[in-house]
Amino acid sequence: MVVVKLNKRLPYILLAPSIIILLALILYPLAFALRNSFWFWNLQTSPMPLYHSGWDNFRMVFLVTPFSEALKNSLLLAGLGTFAQFWLGMGIALLLESHLRGMGLMRAVLIMPTTLAPVVAGFLFRYLLEPKGGILPWLLTGLGIPVPPQGFLGNAGTALFSIGLVDTWQWTPFFAIVLYAGLLSINEEIKEAAQVDGASGWRMFWSLTLPLLRPIAAFLVMIRFMQLFNSFDLVYVLTNGGPGTASRTLSFNLYREGLVNYNIGLTAAMTWLVVIIVSVIINLYLFFIFRKREW
Amino acid sequence: MEMRRHTARQKLVIYALMSLVMVFFLGPIFWFILLAFRHPSEAYNLPPELLFEPYLGNFIDTFVDPGNNAPQLVNSLIVSSGATLLSLPFALAAAYALSRFAMRGKEFILNWYISLLIAPPIVFVIPYFILMSRIGWAGSYQAMIVTLQTLAIPFSVWLLKSFIDEVPLDLEEAAWVDGATRLRAFFFIIIPLALPGLIVTSMFTFVFSWNNVLFPLVLSRGSTTTLPVGTISFFASTGVYWGHIAATAVVAMLPPMIIFLLLGRYVVRGLTFGAVKG
Repeated sequence: MVVVKLNKRLPYILLAPSIIILLALILYPLAFALRNSFWFWNLQTSPMPLYHSGWDNFRMVFLVTPFSEALKNSLLLAGLGTFAQFWLGMGIALLLESHLRGMGLMRAVLIMPTTLAPVVAGFLFRYLLEPKGGILPWLLTGLGIPVPPQGFLGNAGTALFSIGLVDTWQWTPFFAIVLYAGLLSINEEIKEAAQVDGASGWRMFWSLTLPLLRPIAAFLVMIRFMQLFNSFDLVYVLTNGGPGTASRTLSFNLYREGLVNYNIGLTAAMTWLVVIIVSVIINLYLFFIFRKREW
Repeated sequence: MEMRRHTARQKLVIYALMSLVMVFFLGPIFWFILLAFRHPSEAYNLPPELLFEPYLGNFIDTFVDPGNNAPQLVNSLIVSSGATLLSLPFALAAAYALSRFAMRGKEFILNWYISLLIAPPIVFVIPYFILMSRIGWAGSYQAMIVTLQTLAIPFSVWLLKSFIDEVPLDLEEAAWVDGATRLRAFFFIIIPLALPGLIVTSMFTFVFSWNNVLFPLVLSRGSTTTLPVGTISFFASTGVYWGHIAATAVVAMLPPMIIFLLLGRYVVRGLTFGAVKG
């Protein structure tokens, strides 16, 4: 029957336009990077690739750019940032769940940091953290907490940590309101059943609430971990990867090599290294966390 | 919703903690908005002054005279609306297919869309930069609008699917029984009933495009650059114009804030691509 046949093909016909445009938008850059990763090409000296250079670009990634340091920074930022945001968000979600007067309004305005463009959040904290005249160093000094003379963003030991703190400021509200929605969706009856069993508040949280929130939590953690791993905007505005290369992330390292130094060949090689690293992380995650998940 | 009883002491602790939370998360925004109204010479005054004579010069310098930010505001509107409008037909077709048909590889396709959302955009942007100058699109609006689809389409597919999933299948089936074609049923049943979802999705896509900085940073030229990128130009080697940065940033942050307040209960759903229904 014609109708049945059409209906069998229809979903693929409907999916095709979006998949084709996306494939074109993804495959072009990947193919471009694959080809040029084996060519020497600096845009400052030539509009075209100059000569075939074998695996040199891949070696140069590690010799010329702080690739390992950037990888370590990205992982550190993603790991610590996601951890902090999840637990702070969980704490705030539990406070909101008290349903005391005013919590609804507070929840509605709490999300404001998340609505900002990351550049705006970056500038906001760049101003607050300004070593001379910024309000945060002034407050901390007043409280007797030592502030590095170059400021938190200019100090190699605190720069990356500060980026993580600004991201945490921006995205903890996101965790809070989503986890709060999750808490509401958890069946009240199951909770009551546990109360009848005489479980204490903490025990109930660990053995009942948290496992029930697991699907939501796994999803949030994956999204945030990867967004933090890819951090660029905040690094660009807050520290410019510095001091030195102390707070460079993988994305920022790619940007510097590609669009500041215009080493297109080297950047192409680095692009593939980053694509492989990111694919491994995403697939590990999908494999272990989402295997049994029904959307 | 059953309210649990709290003792006065518990209430006090909860309110005290929430006050700290609100000061920590909203205080910095408040402080930055004040900066936009301070005279540049007072930007660094310590101890901080809460009461001061409001100064509008920062907004006048940036939006009126010489007013470099006014065209950027228009550019932001063009790029964000363009990216949103372009993504909708693609996303609507795909979301309908994924919501209404059983097919092989559905999980894979959904995961593929989401992997685009969490891939590092910088990986794509550098080749786009060279591609655009080769095809004569360097610095154009369409360069930004088309490449932003790598984020706009996957996001809209996911969010729209969650809304179409909620339109009861019975209604559509009833229309088929009455002799309506699948296409007719789509336009007369799905579209009207999923309209709130379409509007919510558009608003989110608009905000995410508005807040995106990497694509315009790399793909725009001076005359097509967007407002959030405009803040960066006041961070020059010749000096940091905090008043100008703050005035630009305050105008750039308003549309997303207003849209999020309007979206209310859909915020959770939008921020999680439809995976968590708020």
